[in-house]
Amino acid sequence: MKKLPVILILLISSFISYTQVRTYLGDESMLYAQTKQINQFYRRFNGEEDVTGKRLYETNVDYHSTKLRTKYLNILFDLSSPLITKDAKEIFILDVNNKKTPLFLDFHSNDWFAEVSSEFTYNRQPLHVLLYFKLEKERQGYKWVLSNVYCSAFEHYFNHVGDSISGENFLHPMSHELDFMNLRKMFATPANIGYYIEKEYHPDPLTLFLKEYKDGNLKFVSTNHVKFHFFQIPNWYFEVAYFNRSQNNSGWLISNLVRINDQEKKEIIRNYTHEN
Amino acid sequence: MKKTLVLFGLLLLSAGLFAQADDDLSPQRKQAIDSLALEKVRDLSKYISIIGNKDTPWSEAQRVIERAVELFMPGSEMGVSSLSRPEVHYYKIREYFDRLMQLNYDRVVIEWYKIQYVSDLERQPDGTYVGVITVFQRFQGYDKEKGLIYEDTTKKDITVYVKRKETQIGGRLIGFWDVLLGDIRVKETSK
Repeated sequence: MKKLPVILILLISSFISYTQVRTYLGDESMLYAQTKQINQFYRRFNGEEDVTGKRLYETNVDYHSTKLRTKYLNILFDLSSPLITKDAKEIFILDVNNKKTPLFLDFHSNDWFAEVSSEFTYNRQPLHVLLYFKLEKERQGYKWVLSNVYCSAFEHYFNHVGDSISGENFLHPMSHELDFMNLRKMFATPANIGYYIEKEYHPDPLTLFLKEYKDGNLKFVSTNHVKFHFFQIPNWYFEVAYFNRSQNNSGWLISNLVRINDQEKKEIIRNYTHEN
Repeated sequence: MKKTLVLFGLLLLSAGLFAQADDDLSPQRKQAIDSLALEKVRDLSKYISIIGNKDTPWSEAQRVIERAVELFMPGSEMGVSSLSRPEVHYYKIREYFDRLMQLNYDRVVIEWYKIQYVSDLERQPDGTYVGVITVFQRFQGYDKEKGLIYEDTTKKDITVYVKRKETQIGGRLIGFWDVLLGDIRVKETSK
């Protein structure tokens, strides 16, 4: 039984590396197997390209074919990831690639977003910032728009926001009769201001980011790593990252896979986007 | 000159293909545009090899740089990262070519892998189509005495802009697809 997955992997590797590319230079087979663009990740996931990387259209027999997708879906995972169990992977592929109700990814769907790890300087000191982007329709096409940011430097602004117990840090319910003269106490200690904020308030790091950027305190230096979060497949979350290595199993691959319900989905989105 | 004529011929051919007012891309149109875009990328590959070649006279390299720059949208940049330096360093296209010409090796070998990957074309808000072509390049720098002193393989993701334009030929308005290259992301691949 254990031999089966090994044979399967060997078959999949040979599927791409030998059958179609043996006429090319030996070391190019890895480049063929590699998922070189997110665009190619989509095509392979959906069964929209043949083994040479050529685009398949609706009129092609193999377009969206279950057989083709089975081969591709198996090689779209980071095979070294400890976060992806064999069971989860198999169930996911069965869910996505069942004959009756196959599931596909849609580039223009809202349920995926990009996380760009970036370097800035903040008051001339290096600062690591995560930028979150999503696709938005405008006029004749689409564009990526900044939807959120996360950086540790902003966290202290939101200390105690949403804390369920405020200790002695509150405005008593008759403060209005005193024309709120006790605001002096509220504003006495900056570290405690979060206790005085309504519990429905959601901190918005993007606003702070814009302020600091426009004030000239925050300056862009460069990007480095990019990854993508997908919520398009019902009951599943997966992450896609770039694996730069000399193997067939390289390029843009699924690096994390979690089975989730709707409530957990909201929670995961909050965790991954650092939204509160 | 011959090349320009061939390219213009291709453009007119595509103009015939795309004479309809509709700007949408059928698979056939997409394939024709892919060919035009790949032609530009092949030109770029050839120019990079000539500019990097130490045997190319300075004046010839300058001429080729001019031709290479013409392939690009104004303001295009190269974003370069290496295995040891994952953050992106930005160079204007012309600056990149100038640096390539001035590299301090006695001999440079630039080879291109046959593999290339052409993405779908997506429309941006102004209606221009944008796609990405991925190619792989192998670079080797030699020193007269020490031999091979540097080598790398890089993945180049090249932006391609495709815009529908019109030109008047013999009193007739002919539509064609104009293809220009844009920003290029250069990433060193694993050794």
